[in-house]
Amino acid sequence: MEDKELDELFTDPAHQEVVDLLKASRPATPPLDPNFRLHLRAQLMAEARKTLTPRAARSWFPFTFTPRLLAPAMAAVAAGFIVVLGIEVYLANQPTSSLVAMDVSKLNNKTNVATGEPIEIPFSGPVDQAAVEVQIEPATSFTQQWVGQKLVIVPDHPLAPNTTYTVTVKSKATVPTPNASNPNTPKPAVAPTPAVVHFTTVRASVPPVVPPSFRSAGVTYGFDSRLGDSARVNILGAVWTPAGQLLVTRPGGQPGPSSLPTASATASGSGPAASTDVWLMSTMGTPIRMVAPGGNFPAAAPSGGLFSVWRQADGNHANLEVRDLQGNLISTAATVEGVPDRPAVWIGADRLAYVDGGTLRIVGLHAPLETPALKVDHGSLAASPNGQLLAVQSTGGSVVLDLTPAATQRLHDGATGFSWSAKGDLAFTIQRENGTDLYVLTEGKTSKIASSANGQTWSDLNWAPDATSLLFAARPAGGNSMSSVLMLINRDGSNPTQFGPQREYSAPQWSPAGDLVLFTRRDEAGGNAFWVATSAPSANDAAEKQALAEVDKFMQARIRGDSGTAQDELDDAGRAAYQGGASALFSPAGTQFDRYYPVTVQLTGSNPNKFLVGVRIFIKKSGVETSFFEEQLSLVLQDQRYLVDSVKASETMALGHGPTVVSVQILQAPPGQQVRVRFDADLKPDSVTSTTIQVKDANGQLVAARVSFDADKHLATVTVRLQKGTYQLVVTTGVTDINGMPLAQEYDAPLVISR
Amino acid sequence: MPERFEERELVERAKLDPDAFGALYDRYFPQIYRFAYSRVRDQSLAEDVTSEVFFKALKNIKRYTYSGHPFSSWLYQITLNAVADHYRGAAGKEVELEEGASLPSTEPTVVDEVVRRDRSRRVWSAIDQLPKQQRAAMVLKFGEDRKIEEIAQILGKSSGAVKLLLHRGVERLRRELPPEFELGTP
Repeated sequence: MEDKELDELFTDPAHQEVVDLLKASRPATPPLDPNFRLHLRAQLMAEARKTLTPRAARSWFPFTFTPRLLAPAMAAVAAGFIVVLGIEVYLANQPTSSLVAMDVSKLNNKTNVATGEPIEIPFSGPVDQAAVEVQIEPATSFTQQWVGQKLVIVPDHPLAPNTTYTVTVKSKATVPTPNASNPNTPKPAVAPTPAVVHFTTVRASVPPVVPPSFRSAGVTYGFDSRLGDSARVNILGAVWTPAGQLLVTRPGGQPGPSSLPTASATASGSGPAASTDVWLMSTMGTPIRMVAPGGNFPAAAPSGGLFSVWRQADGNHANLEVRDLQGNLISTAATVEGVPDRPAVWIGADRLAYVDGGTLRIVGLHAPLETPALKVDHGSLAASPNGQLLAVQSTGGSVVLDLTPAATQRLHDGATGFSWSAKGDLAFTIQRENGTDLYVLTEGKTSKIASSANGQTWSDLNWAPDATSLLFAARPAGGNSMSSVLMLINRDGSNPTQFGPQREYSAPQWSPAGDLVLFTRRDEAGGNAFWVATSAPSANDAAEKQALAEVDKFMQARIRGDSGTAQDELDDAGRAAYQGGASALFSPAGTQFDRYYPVTVQLTGSNPNKFLVGVRIFIKKSGVETSFFEEQLSLVLQDQRYLVDSVKASETMALGHGPTVVSVQILQAPPGQQVRVRFDADLKPDSVTSTTIQVKDANGQLVAARVSFDADKHLATVTVRLQKGTYQLVVTTGVTDINGMPLAQEYDAPLVISR
Repeated sequence: MPERFEERELVERAKLDPDAFGALYDRYFPQIYRFAYSRVRDQSLAEDVTSEVFFKALKNIKRYTYSGHPFSSWLYQITLNAVADHYRGAAGKEVELEEGASLPSTEPTVVDEVVRRDRSRRVWSAIDQLPKQQRAAMVLKFGEDRKIEEIAQILGKSSGAVKLLLHRGVERLRRELPPEFELGTP
């Protein structure tokens, strides 16, 4: 970078060196939430339209009007065609240039434009389509089409939600080529003044917080089975794919699904085979197909469909290959000397970290990357699910590298055994002389959540898919591995319980759906065999899952308009409720139920035989979601099935006007409860108080409550102490978004405390 | 059309036309956000400051008159004031180093092994520890490539004063950067 000012200012060589260093190093790019930029722009533009000279005061026809030009526009108005903006384009095959009007009344200043729909602008007459030029701000790539006299703009990708777009339509500066065969080809007039349309897209749909159908807390060890058969299907290593299949490493030349296995296969634990193959395998241990002959140490990409694998190459080299699950080679990401001794680690969908001669390397599948030169050797290595952070146990200490880049965070000395949860928490252990400490790093803060007792060693941490608990292997003091067990512990370190029988189990891995656990277990030959055990949910969780499955069937039938299936999900009382007008089973004429999601799920009895499920149903009109309403469905267990027994419906509310509640969750938090209310917009924190979010008892009396608010997560937490019974949650219109827009409508929901 | 002239015309249009103001926002958001972040080192605060800058700019743009300096100078001025307002609101949060105070300990850590990138980060961390005016001048010069005259206008100082600030900043970095910054090595 040449800068004469600096050259003149700093003539001392010592200063020049500092200046050179500064010129060569730029400040790190600050972290930026892209939504912030768009959101601020939308706010500014809204304010600018209010405070700057209104556009309406300007002529939409800033070029000189002549009676000849004005007449067609006036005629269009007279004909009932709403002329909002004017643009001069050339009429095809007309002897003179004429003005054509655009009807943007369905688009201009609309605030609920769907993000995935084409933008349509009808014209009042035929136009020279090649003369029309379109620009969209913020910059958006799109395809321009014509359907008759209608301009159809199809964005290449869905538009950003809750963003104000400006579409500018103008005639091209270039002059249309005169048609030699038609001497009356219009002469160009100069009319480049753009016509501008503003609209705002709908808010992003916030994923509802629904109690997961899988909850790791409270699961118990179900049935187990050995993966493959020790005598026939020999497995040296296994990892889950995101789809719930397994990538397994087997000795080279093992048979596949179509041939009988040979009895001569090496028993597991008898030592590594000279060469290995990588297979895709079902959870029942059936080999599906070989996906990497000669491969070892597979690692499944978190985005699914791909995996990385090491394969020996010519000489003393190994290639890090990326393949699809059909076994097709996609790319060779890296080549190293020697034989790798660990799988690569996926960092998001398109980067891989691996160890080359003891040194950490990172390779991008699409672009080269700057690699931090850390000596790792055999240290732990794990990437966060968002692909932003890499936990590294280097020879100089353990760190969390921020790959964005931002500050590197150093972890406690000895931190190892990294495991990232789906929600971005990092668990790790530190081995002490008298046992193991278990830590969790959340949002930059580290806390010790548990310590082993009696000198036990904890290792092989693995988060449950719901990120609320961890499985790990616990080995007694003295290293008697024959009595190693699996343990399950809550995320906060509470309730450590043994998972499974008292055997030597280790290396647990939850399946992506949480229904299975893969682990190793000492086999009869002294090696490690791979086993799969089912995880049995608690009775309440299983019942809730069943009830939600019935609700889904019911709702999908209503969305499809399938009366038979929908009716089949109702008992007599439920059928009478809908027939009596408690709610509409199907959408009114001219509208369509577009989608739904559960807002609350509550057990309403001491036994899991009755649930109250709140669902939000979105109504689409003319292809765009315009409103929603909620139903509180009671489901009762009848003949092994949950059927809808009663329904209460809320008023229908328009979308896009003020913040809304998207979910309500009730959690037991002894000695009381927490009611978590999530919103779909940035709220003014001081509008979220115990005055605006209330809990009332059956008599309508306010219950003492403390309200806290996490602005980043749009989450209000109401801490209460409720006895068994039914209460009412009330979120008033005193809650406002950051622009002061109040809640669309007061929100009421029943709270049922059953224990 | 020369860039400066085009900018001037855009600013004049922005006094009346929301779209032109939007274009100004699109043009200057990155550098204003970056500058705000360099001053507050906190994403949330940088967002607040950036938001305040552009709303103030919108409110006052009709009173803006072209003075021969880039429009961005005006935005930088507003940013500095917004940052100062913030710290006035949170009294005592910003610890201003005295001219002789030491930079923080630069004891080698594992990150020393990490990287040219890390080296860069630490140089800029050292700039963060400079006295307020020196820091602003250094960031504007080395981070934003502003001319000394512009920096003078932004800071409300003479060009000579800015040169002195830069000189002192560089001299201080030379004295206090840790030994591993063997100057002159890659």
